Amino acid sequence: MKPFEYVAARDSQHAVALLAEYGSGAKVLAGGTDLLADLKAAQHSPRVMVDISQAADLKGISLTDDGLRLGALVTHTEIMRSSVIRDYCPALIEAAHTIGAVQTRNLGTIGGNLVTCVPSMDSGPTLLALDAQITVVDLGGQRRMPLSALFVGPRKTSLADGQLLVDIVIPKASVGKPAAFLKFGLRKGQALALVNAAASLWVDGERTTFVAPRIALGAVAPTVIRAPKAEAFLAGLTISPEAMDKAGRIAASEAKPISDFRASADYRRDLIAVLVKRALATAYERSTAQKEHVQ
Amino acid sequence: MIDVTVAVNGSVRRAAVPPETTLLTLLRDNFQLTGTKLGCDVGDCGACTVIVDGMAVNACLMLAAQTDGRQVLTIEGLATKDKLHPLQKVFEESGALQCGFCGPGMLLSAKALLDENPEPSVYEIRDALAGNLCRCTGYSKIVEAVQDAARMRQTPQAHEAHQLEMHGQDHG
Repeated sequence: MKPFEYVAARDSQHAVALLAEYGSGAKVLAGGTDLLADLKAAQHSPRVMVDISQAADLKGISLTDDGLRLGALVTHTEIMRSSVIRDYCPALIEAAHTIGAVQTRNLGTIGGNLVTCVPSMDSGPTLLALDAQITVVDLGGQRRMPLSALFVGPRKTSLADGQLLVDIVIPKASVGKPAAFLKFGLRKGQALALVNAAASLWVDGERTTFVAPRIALGAVAPTVIRAPKAEAFLAGLTISPEAMDKAGRIAASEAKPISDFRASADYRRDLIAVLVKRALATAYERSTAQKEHVQ
Repeated sequence: MIDVTVAVNGSVRRAAVPPETTLLTLLRDNFQLTGTKLGCDVGDCGACTVIVDGMAVNACLMLAAQTDGRQVLTIEGLATKDKLHPLQKVFEESGALQCGFCGPGMLLSAKALLDENPEPSVYEIRDALAGNLCRCTGYSKIVEAVQDAARMRQTPQAHEAHQLEMHGQDHG
């Protein structure tokens, strides 16, 4: 790695002050599993590395008045071991488990995964399907926005210099919502997604119709995306395997996958249809299993 | 330069290093602990796996500065002077390693697993070792060795009986 200065932030406030001080010369270091790997191949290093990995206020998983809060520094391993997440958002555990291997999951953070903004990120789809919000701070204060507003393009977020992602909040209305995440890669371990998909849904009191269905896809567009046409198709529709199958095919038509050395665009579209159908079916099974949460 | 104080294999070690120094470089070049291997250097191969505060991590993906004040276990800290760690003993007995380059990382990933989960299933072992690449063995003997070590930790007698059953002789 090319040389840089290093400074460790005590907490988010300190981090924001450091980011303001160093401006565009600063880079935030969290788990480092993407950033340091990238810097080893890079011609230049940032001038200053602002290490937030020991900032206690950016850690922790908790149920709050707003919903389920995950500090930006929560690691993928912590997600997998969290009993709160197991009880209320098990699809997040499925997503975390598909990221890298144990060593990367022990260091890598959910906030770091999101701000890489790579289209194939595995944290994104489930969170989008649960209507997650994020909190961003800078010297001017903090604001809450939908996670979808973070994603601008491949490796490009809406965060400006000086801004820091603080936490991810699954809103109260989505806590306990049946959901599922599926990923298809070329290997089981340490593989990037060819396609990943998440779905969430409520069912009505009679258990016959889809309520607030959400479908999100990764690795098939410049960013992780929702599939609004497929969602609109399902909303209020009678639950059936045929409806789930059709929704999968609609979602495939909404994506813009590319062909590369891993897979062709056509193959990716076929995968979307299959993964969406299966994610919907799994989410529906969960709505049966966790009846007490159904609204 | 950054001053770093780390407890490595139970001894407090200090160094002043440039900020861009990784934990891997700190261990190998500053502390001469070359058992931790440099493989891909980008977190894919697991040859540099060490245990930091109980967690298996890739030493190539941590800055030395981030380990200030923490506990690091490397392969040099696994055996005592006159006794191999059960995992090392089983890996040796069963020929789980061939060239051995992946061995330090493989053993430390396995140790982190067994510390957390003393009776892992084959699936759990494979999952825990997914970040450690081996180009020689095909992994089967490694997975079996971890199973053996788990049995040995549970009841050393059961391990001996198992060895007899498997190999028809006492490995002593």
